[in-house]
Amino acid sequence: MKIVVPGESVGDAKNIPSTYVEGGKARATVVGLFDEQEGRLVSLQGTYNPRFDDVIIGVVEEVKFAGYTVDVNCAYKGFMSSRDCRKPLRLGDVIAAKVSSVDEVKNVNLIEAFVLFGGHIIDITPTKVPRLIGKKNSMIGMIVEATKSEIRVGKNGRVWIRGGDTSLAARAVFKIEAEAHVSGLTDRVQAFLKKEMANGSVAGIAELSERNDVEGARQ
Amino acid sequence: MGEKPKLIVNGVRTDGRKPGDLRSLKITAGFLHRADGSAYLEWGENKILAAVYGPRECVPRHDMNPYKACVRCRYVMAPFASLEEHGRSGPSRRSIELSKVIREVFENVVLSEQFPKTAIDVYIEVLQADGGTRCAGITAASVALANAGIPMKDLVSAVAVGKVDGELVLDCNKIEDNHGESDVPIAFAARNKDVLLFQMDGLLSKQELGKAFEMAEAASEYIHEVQVNALKEVYEKKKAEIEGENNGV
Repeated sequence: MKIVVPGESVGDAKNIPSTYVEGGKARATVVGLFDEQEGRLVSLQGTYNPRFDDVIIGVVEEVKFAGYTVDVNCAYKGFMSSRDCRKPLRLGDVIAAKVSSVDEVKNVNLIEAFVLFGGHIIDITPTKVPRLIGKKNSMIGMIVEATKSEIRVGKNGRVWIRGGDTSLAARAVFKIEAEAHVSGLTDRVQAFLKKEMANGSVAGIAELSERNDVEGARQ
Repeated sequence: MGEKPKLIVNGVRTDGRKPGDLRSLKITAGFLHRADGSAYLEWGENKILAAVYGPRECVPRHDMNPYKACVRCRYVMAPFASLEEHGRSGPSRRSIELSKVIREVFENVVLSEQFPKTAIDVYIEVLQADGGTRCAGITAASVALANAGIPMKDLVSAVAVGKVDGELVLDCNKIEDNHGESDVPIAFAARNKDVLLFQMDGLLSKQELGKAFEMAEAASEYIHEVQVNALKEVYEKKKAEIEGENNGV
């Protein structure tokens, strides 16, 4: 694993995401981690780029007759058709939804909206989502087990947390984001959670947590 | 501006450099917390802050392009940036021109087709100026763009070559700029030395221009190295920290 910068040569293999080929040489387009063995380049920064079938977490931003405009943490707005909603959504609702299509001008259509009540949302760099989830949900499972929080992670880098020790869960998520590029992450997070639990973690946001602002706004 | 001082005495310039020397260059990437990408650069007495936002929604919408992202650039000098009075901050004739040429530099390297309908904003704030700020601005903004994770073909490094007291010198400072005969800022793409910016104030002969070009090209390699180190340091610092902790236990 090595860190590469835009323009740096990454061998001659074609079709590696986040690279381009020029004069028979593949070059990186982003600052990222390059795995020489597998020939894989993972960007370390960047905004979310919507793709088909991604499950994302969004906030309803506008209510129209035909549907809803949803903020999905990227340059493009998502659109949720009212036809695909069982119940009408409201302004400010936090939803988990699936991207049903993205066209060439990046019109993002959403389906299967699931309203998330209460809780908190935090944003992380979308490229670090796979690291947060871990192999077979190992990383996120570990946090859930320790904090007893309900956690949902969107491919767009939004993390929704409700109940349990929300403060600790959020700090663990941010720790993973900051240290995603250093190996041995699982052990470090495990140690971090253990240490914080032993210290009787200060439940900062946790007390506010259950049934918070979103539901308050509804009344 | 006053009398023209002697700029080269016994082959040494006003700040003690030789004609082929750069000023000291230091770049910190990821300097601002709320920007998508940023860089702070100190190049001699120049102090420049570059911030990048985007790709984000393009406002006003008539700037929007359905085929690619709109790259926008704002170069401004702070009112307190140099010894002379700059008056109010904000666009002037000079800064509008520089914003345009810097924008064109980055339009050539950013892979804007990947983000149709969006805007990528590059802000370059010159906090302290001592000659060669457009080159310093480009160098800083290039690091900021990479730090924002915006896909680009290459990093850009820029440097100026001037002619003072009849001799070609690298990386002019303010006095040399004001009293020199010529000033040539050049920006290079690091991988193949593509020229992305080339301007000339004053006069140079064909031979001199050729030599100036070579000097800038050689210097751009060092600048590129500093840029790369700045970008990698963001992540390597964290890594070293963690490894230090592990060894401590």
